[in-house]
Amino acid sequence: MSRAIHGDLPVRFRYTPGVANTSFFEALRDRGVLLGSKCEACSVTSVPARMFCERCFAELSPGVECGPGGSVESFTIGHVGIDGEALDEPVAVALVRLDHADSVLMHRLLGIESPAVGMRVTARLRPQAERSASILDIEGFERE
Amino acid sequence: MSVEPRVGIAGVGWSGFTPTTANVSYKELMFEAARAAYLEAGVNPRTDVDSFVCASEDFEEGTSIFDEYLPDQLGAVQRPVHTVASDGLFALATGVMLIRSEIASVVAVEAHSKASNVVSHGRVARFALDPVLNRPLGVPALAVAGLEMQRYLHASGHTAVDCEDVANRNRAHAASNRRASHAEAPAGADDPLWEPLTVGQTADSVDGCVVIVLAAEDRAGADPVFVQGVGWNQDAPSLESRDWDRAAATARAAEQAYARAGVTPGDIDAAEVDDTYAYKQLQHLDALGLPDLDPARVNRSGGALGEGYLHEGNGLARALACIEQLRAGEASTAVAQSWRGVPSSSAAVAVLTRGGA
Amino acid sequence: MARRVAVIGAGMTKFVRRAQETGKELSWIAGRAALDNAGISLADVDAVCAGTAPDAFDGVHRKGDYLADGSGAWGKPYIRTFVGGGTGVFVPIQAWYTIASGMADVVLVLAEEKMSSCQPHPQGAFLTIFDNVIERPLGPNLLWIFALEMQRYMQAYGLDKRDIATVAVKNKRNAADHPSALLGQADITVEDVLASEVLAHPVQRLDVSPISDGAVALVMASEEAAAKLTDSPVWVQGVGWNLDSTYWTNRDLAYPEYVENAARMAYDMAGVTEPRKQIHVAEPYDPFDYKELHHLEGLQLFDKGKAPEAAAAGVTARDGDLPVCPSGGLLGVGNPIAAAGLMKIAELFWQLRGEAGARQVPGTPERGVAQAWGDLMQVGTVVVMGTDGGPSTTATRQGTPPIGPRATPLTDEAFRSAAGAVDEPLDLTYEWDTGEAMGAFLEGMRDGRVVATTCAQCERTLVPPRVFCERCFRPTDGWTEVEAVGTVETFSICHVRWDMVALDPPEIPAVIRLDGASSGGFLHKLDEVAPDDVSIGMAVEAVWKPVEERTGSILDIAYFRPRHGGEDR
Repeated sequence: MSRAIHGDLPVRFRYTPGVANTSFFEALRDRGVLLGSKCEACSVTSVPARMFCERCFAELSPGVECGPGGSVESFTIGHVGIDGEALDEPVAVALVRLDHADSVLMHRLLGIESPAVGMRVTARLRPQAERSASILDIEGFERE
Repeated sequence: MSVEPRVGIAGVGWSGFTPTTANVSYKELMFEAARAAYLEAGVNPRTDVDSFVCASEDFEEGTSIFDEYLPDQLGAVQRPVHTVASDGLFALATGVMLIRSEIASVVAVEAHSKASNVVSHGRVARFALDPVLNRPLGVPALAVAGLEMQRYLHASGHTAVDCEDVANRNRAHAASNRRASHAEAPAGADDPLWEPLTVGQTADSVDGCVVIVLAAEDRAGADPVFVQGVGWNQDAPSLESRDWDRAAATARAAEQAYARAGVTPGDIDAAEVDDTYAYKQLQHLDALGLPDLDPARVNRSGGALGEGYLHEGNGLARALACIEQLRAGEASTAVAQSWRGVPSSSAAVAVLTRGGA
Repeated sequence: MARRVAVIGAGMTKFVRRAQETGKELSWIAGRAALDNAGISLADVDAVCAGTAPDAFDGVHRKGDYLADGSGAWGKPYIRTFVGGGTGVFVPIQAWYTIASGMADVVLVLAEEKMSSCQPHPQGAFLTIFDNVIERPLGPNLLWIFALEMQRYMQAYGLDKRDIATVAVKNKRNAADHPSALLGQADITVEDVLASEVLAHPVQRLDVSPISDGAVALVMASEEAAAKLTDSPVWVQGVGWNLDSTYWTNRDLAYPEYVENAARMAYDMAGVTEPRKQIHVAEPYDPFDYKELHHLEGLQLFDKGKAPEAAAAGVTARDGDLPVCPSGGLLGVGNPIAAAGLMKIAELFWQLRGEAGARQVPGTPERGVAQAWGDLMQVGTVVVMGTDGGPSTTATRQGTPPIGPRATPLTDEAFRSAAGAVDEPLDLTYEWDTGEAMGAFLEGMRDGRVVATTCAQCERTLVPPRVFCERCFRPTDGWTEVEAVGTVETFSICHVRWDMVALDPPEIPAVIRLDGASSGGFLHKLDEVAPDDVSIGMAVEAVWKPVEERTGSILDIAYFRPRHGGEDR
């Protein structure tokens, strides 16, 4: 009868956000705006801003303010956590297409009883003093 | 573009396909499947197999550079061996390329799952999310499946009931598959995970290994199954910019596989497609141009929902099922398709034929 | 009929200690530079072949998927291949078969590594390359295996450390002319290398290449596509790859057979019958100075044990008879694992087109070989490239030479305070089934016995035991036990932990060859012996923990000590 041996991968990570995300996060933290980048050749605006267009490889720069309003492309209500454990409270998450953007952001929905595809929402940001250049500087999206 | 030499299946072998395989290590699981495949193919791997291709991911194994741990139990020591960090169907496609490039005549392809040895699959899957943009939200990767299912139902007009039907039908199919571990619906099948995805619509993991020996036509034996065409593709990896309405990578991979095989969707009479989640089967069938294929001919094995989800081995499990159906004369032109589970947006497709298609 | 395949463009980032860019951004910088160099756009690319080493560096599961957009793979066929450190030279092989098989005409090849994400030290990612049952409990670090191999290589051929150190000097000086280099030093000397801190004897600090972030890209094309795009393609004449047994403690580390096997496969395909004459420039993998020499011998460019003296005599200098690592190699340019290997292919591309600038080797080299290595001292990947009769170096081409490579280096301070940086532990855990063979081995350990399996056909006794004989691929025939006595096959004196924290007293890892097992041996540690008294061939015996402390683990043997009355070998 075989036995099992326990193991893990004993390292941790420090992820730098990268050149483009740094611009996005700094603008979010300092000015409370959501910066995207537009590829003129592809007519595609991505938010968060990107260093390059994934479709044509053009170099991009951040410059398009998107949102804070947008529409819900999809949503889900979650009942289980990362280890499959039951959550105390269901969690609502959505894909939001910000105004002026072609991409979506995955984020929490705040206090929305019956989410629906197509509904209008708007980003609620944390107070500036609490923002730390993180995607969580956006608290979530609430009904517009 | 060359289509010569044709690539045939010389032998297949498998082991496990059970929720746990506590008495064997992954090496022993692989040895068993490899021996069976080589026996059927009538080859000695030490002398007759020119190249070996395996599919694995380090974090699924808990070992960095898992490639190190492959050769001995496959008979591949001091032979050309390499790993594709993807699903096994990509390894199969790679085997086809090795034969068509004429650097090999016989190639062994392997993929496996020791899922029972992973304490939390949710944590592994979560590490595939973007660390800066997505992970800080603290939601599991499963949330992506919920979002995807919701969007797909909205865009396609399919319903949650259609997805329930897929799960029920696949499990019914699995009842006649001696490999299947999940022919019964699980307890709490209707419990929601990330709405509208439920427990019953989500495939449960199994351990197991599949080895397939590919050979150039003159080495593949009499009346073999042929790999008539392969395709593979990648959609945007980021959640922000991928196509949420359809399985775009599957559609493009299918286009390539069909073109190389010289077939159209109308020629397909059996399909083994990814059904990690029930909605994915419908989405993948749409992408394969097979929305109206007789459901009795789709995932006859039971798919992952019925047979068990073999993780990186899923694509080879689907190919194995196609090969068995073709050999039994239950189909003449089959398609095997794989995806990699959330949050991946890649796909591979193989068209398999038998009987001079 | 397989088609001919050429390299028609190359590009790379700067190699830096810590890049601000994400792995995606690093990949894009290199990929964009390669496309520009080849004079094509992303739309012209049919497929993308990527290579990157362990996910534990960048810290993303399915790192291949994550990097796909930066690799130009949006909407395209894309596969990531992974053979550890051998990846950088394997990925052009992947592109070769992708094109030769007819699956694509133009391929973008990408190799990327962002090692700096791994904390507290990227070497931590290597903790988990060792066997999960019989090695990891010993806490082996990456330096051990290089030191063990270097020790064995030096002892087997009676090598002089001075000669080996000349490689570090050559490469770091060569790298001073490489625009991407992290560690080019025009004035480094052998004395500097020999005076540097001993990390794990015989490995010293300046013997080792630096961990880095970076990416390299190539454009490769079929003959027909290449003809439309360039007048000076560099042809892939031969490819080879080979993987040796996992059971590295059962192998002799003095010579890399798997590199020889891979080289022969590539030379056969290229029609190279006299490599020493027909190869004009070589880029073997040089993560440590001795590895360049070890690999040159595997590549059949020097006889066994003879590469060091040739290096010391200047044969491998840029203006020598056989220039080796004119790029500056990993030792000089930097070692972002997979990218470093592909950097060597890019170097051959530039050298063979006469575009290597200050690094250009004299004369008109027509054929070169690049090689990488990896896994657990196991894999060799080899590519032979050539001009097939000479490039047209004066003809106009559509592309531009590579632009100055970019990457945004972060100081240690900037890294620690970077806005938006996310910290996260790798909280994945496993319960690995040890299985029949290792399960029996561990039970044996608890009882104070070393369990082995036997292969009657090969007449071998196998430790660690396995249910298969990897030589003849038969199931093993039976079980036996061997005494826990043997000799030291190779050893090191290790003064640092994996996170580079000093160890005092040092650890003495060793490969123990067991007396009763022809193919038997394992990694362990020595104690009750002064470091200066340890020698290869020394007789040793196990010191077992008291029975009540044993748990069924390799650590049930506390250590090995010199065996008095035992026969040294």
